[in-house]
Amino acid sequence: MRRLVSGIVGLAALLAGCATTNQDNSSRLNLIKNRNELICGVSGKIPGFSFLKSDGSYQGLDVDICKAFAAAIIGDSGKIQYRPLTAAERFTAIKTGEIDLLSRNTTFTLSRDSTGGNGLTFAPVVFHDGQGLMVKKESKISSLQDLANKSICVGSGTTTEQNINDAFESASLPYTPIKYQDLNQVVAGYLQGRCSAMTSDRSQLAAARSGFKNPKEHIILDDVLSKEPLAPASDGQDQKLADAMRWVVFSLISAEEQGITKSNIDEKVKIAKNNPQLKPLRRFLGVDGGLGEKIGLSNDFVVKVISSTGNYGEIYERHLGENSEVPIPRGLNELYNKGGVHISPPFN
Amino acid sequence: MKINQKIFLQFGICIIFFGLIGILINNLTINLIRTGLGFNFSWLFKPASFALAEHPLPYTSSDSYAWALFIGWLNSLKVIVSSLILATLLGTLIGFARTGKNSLLGLISAGYITTIRQTPLLLQLMFWYFVGFLGLKDNMFIQIKNIFNISNQGIEFSGLIFSSEFLALLLGLSIFTSAYIAEVIRGGILSVGRGQWEAFRSLGLSERKGLIRIILPQALPAIIPGLTSQYLNLAKNSTLAIAVGYSDIYAINDTIINQTGRAIECFIILLVSFLLLNLLITNTMEIINRLILKSRKNI
Amino acid sequence: MNSIIVFIKNLKKTLFPNLFNTIITLLITLFISVVCFNTFAWLIFKANWKVVISNLPLYAFGSFPLNEQWRPASWIISLLLLSIFTICGPEWKWLRKNLLILWVGTIPLGLYLLYGGLGLSPIMSRHWGGLTLTILLTVFSSLLSLPFGIVLALCRQSSLPLIQKLSSIYIDVMRAIPLIAVLFFGQLLIPLFLPVGIEIDRVWRAIFAFTLFVSAYIAEDIRGGLQSIPNTQIEAANSIGLNQYQIIQFILIPQALRIALPALTNQSIGLFQNTSLMAILGLVELLGVGRSILANPEFIGQYIEVYVWLACVYWIVCTIMAVLARHLEQRMTINQANF
Repeated sequence: MRRLVSGIVGLAALLAGCATTNQDNSSRLNLIKNRNELICGVSGKIPGFSFLKSDGSYQGLDVDICKAFAAAIIGDSGKIQYRPLTAAERFTAIKTGEIDLLSRNTTFTLSRDSTGGNGLTFAPVVFHDGQGLMVKKESKISSLQDLANKSICVGSGTTTEQNINDAFESASLPYTPIKYQDLNQVVAGYLQGRCSAMTSDRSQLAAARSGFKNPKEHIILDDVLSKEPLAPASDGQDQKLADAMRWVVFSLISAEEQGITKSNIDEKVKIAKNNPQLKPLRRFLGVDGGLGEKIGLSNDFVVKVISSTGNYGEIYERHLGENSEVPIPRGLNELYNKGGVHISPPFN
Repeated sequence: MKINQKIFLQFGICIIFFGLIGILINNLTINLIRTGLGFNFSWLFKPASFALAEHPLPYTSSDSYAWALFIGWLNSLKVIVSSLILATLLGTLIGFARTGKNSLLGLISAGYITTIRQTPLLLQLMFWYFVGFLGLKDNMFIQIKNIFNISNQGIEFSGLIFSSEFLALLLGLSIFTSAYIAEVIRGGILSVGRGQWEAFRSLGLSERKGLIRIILPQALPAIIPGLTSQYLNLAKNSTLAIAVGYSDIYAINDTIINQTGRAIECFIILLVSFLLLNLLITNTMEIINRLILKSRKNI
Repeated sequence: MNSIIVFIKNLKKTLFPNLFNTIITLLITLFISVVCFNTFAWLIFKANWKVVISNLPLYAFGSFPLNEQWRPASWIISLLLLSIFTICGPEWKWLRKNLLILWVGTIPLGLYLLYGGLGLSPIMSRHWGGLTLTILLTVFSSLLSLPFGIVLALCRQSSLPLIQKLSSIYIDVMRAIPLIAVLFFGQLLIPLFLPVGIEIDRVWRAIFAFTLFVSAYIAEDIRGGLQSIPNTQIEAANSIGLNQYQIIQFILIPQALRIALPALTNQSIGLFQNTSLMAILGLVELLGVGRSILANPEFIGQYIEVYVWLACVYWIVCTIMAVLARHLEQRMTINQANF
């Protein structure tokens, strides 16, 4: 009997111990470095952004952003664990520490960013998108008004769903939302004629259309229902990780501004080392200035990032460029000096 | 001494059990504070700001989350009750076919049962929806004088509209459950002694009349418990509605979790709504059972 | 010649005994031939099987590294060979006797091959997927839920009111809620109940959730078995001086398991099918892989082929499991007869 009681007490004490220890306040950045692996939440089901290739690897713009983070933090863009997440899972997964960061085309909004809302922090926008509507050409639908009383296929639980509702409600048009769990099903529902239109981010519409048998029979309406700035995100209480992520994204953009690419990065480093007068380049590439250390990374993190993924333009070309499987015109996603909105603050 | 030991043992288990629960709740509160999620239900009364395609009662996106959840519960109830009826009819027919004399019919129903039981319900639902219902092209209307109208938008029957999501779920659940109900019915029929069959045959009753009037009433007491558990399974399986885009209670919970991040609260709501559904089904079946027993006593 | 006439007569008797049955028979034949014709026409002429053929390794192993795929492959093949041997293999006595050990041995073998270590390069569970993951989830969940279910069943029969109440509540609540809710709990809520800094891998969380769910059902099946054991046996065991634990171990559990066997095998077949629900919660098991493949721009919109193919795979594995189960049941009844 006594053994039983002492056993119980011991067990309780052990579990209580588990509950209270381990409450370190150190940043996740150190955890990632110690683990020597980055756990990156992706969608896994969005053409052009993250999808499973036949050889079992993940590919896309979101995936390359993960690789850039891994190259900067760990120094090796291969040390990543991808977690395919559904839309409903993603925020809980970040808050519970299941994943280190999220690169799963997530829209940057106030309620997601704030401590009173989902409590995340967003890195700079990696893709400026807008919500659109795709219809069949033969349906002769050309505007939102033509869609009154029609059914529209939409992915459930996303900002997409709220936006379409806002758009139709403010125009006081009645409509029927047919909600599916992921984009494949939205596409299937639309192609099979369940809905007169499907709505999603315009990039996803274009991506889906590129896979259709007759892409020319479908048109994306000019109405843009919303701004959809898609950005990587991390836990809002971890300033250090957020800083690191912010500047890794900026380094991709800044590299494109300066014409530094995957193929010429070694040469640029050599130039920077040999020319002490090129101050901004030397700071950017970590030859001097010690900028990397300030955000908990190595000083040459930019070199590691660019040599593994290339600059932002290269990543874009690879997955969404003209010759890729999912061609989407760059539009807003050009650099600021070419008519787009991507700009990097100075590396000072 | 023996009684003392028993009390001690129970006391010990009590401590372990509540200790464990306490630790888990302690962890939960630490985590909720750490992640800033908190625990309250006040969000239930904020506007939901999402639309629903199907709502048996009036609903707009400015109604509260609580109302949206109730609509979802009603949607669940609607599909459960209707597929319960259809599955019972279908299952009884197949059960009869399985025990009947026509060997082709018996063979086919046996094939039907094994095929249905050996593929996952989720896959079947997706098949019925994306291939079965959406496969009907919208230019391929089957129309009968504007009363009955079937297309990939669903079925319209004299003003009543059933969406294809509802129908696919109804069909998928009914077909899946009917394969199990058929086995229950067959078991029930086989449990009635051979003598009863010979008796009604010798009385000159036809097979059909004998089956319905003589055999089935005697098989019912053996059938009812099996049926009840199949009905409960059907209710639980109806949560797979999310795969075909039907807004049942689980699908709406999923949407709300995504919008508000209130996973724990939504999970509790889901549990409570299912306990309610279960109580509803078991109590109804209990009443039916009692009615059957009563009517048998009267004979 | 005679037998053919008898056969035709029999056919006539069973298929066309009267007008009603004749009509039904003819209608069914017509219906079946139309369905079969259309299905074959689609399978051969309309379907584009590239989405299946070029992704076969993905369906089988998920994103397991390419040059290590022989590991899950050899596990699946060894399971398959063992099944074939069990069902229709030759009567080698020494092998037959050790069949159970072989079956149990496949579990550590599978774990070793998948996880690696001891000479094999370690592979994290994130790379597990496809049919391998589906089988893994089934095997581990059913193995874990069996002992847990037995304990629950015994607790529910216990004479201690508190234990009896607690286990009854657990079993009844578990059986009242849908599986997807339990799996949702496993994937999203378990991390909230763990102390800060402790994480459980999501595959193991899924196995844990399945175990919680299935053990409640197994407990009820075993309770049915326990209740059908006559009281006289317990009295007899008491009279020859066995203590309570010996009675449970040697008298109650073996018999209850034997009686509950058909129900238990049905549970594991059901479990295999239900692993497909993890696709809704983001695990890339067999159905999940199918849905991920459909996002590849090359294969958008070819869902019918994928669904038909997946249905075939599930059906084949389920049939194998069902045949194995029937085999096991037969052997058990033979063993009993030998007593």
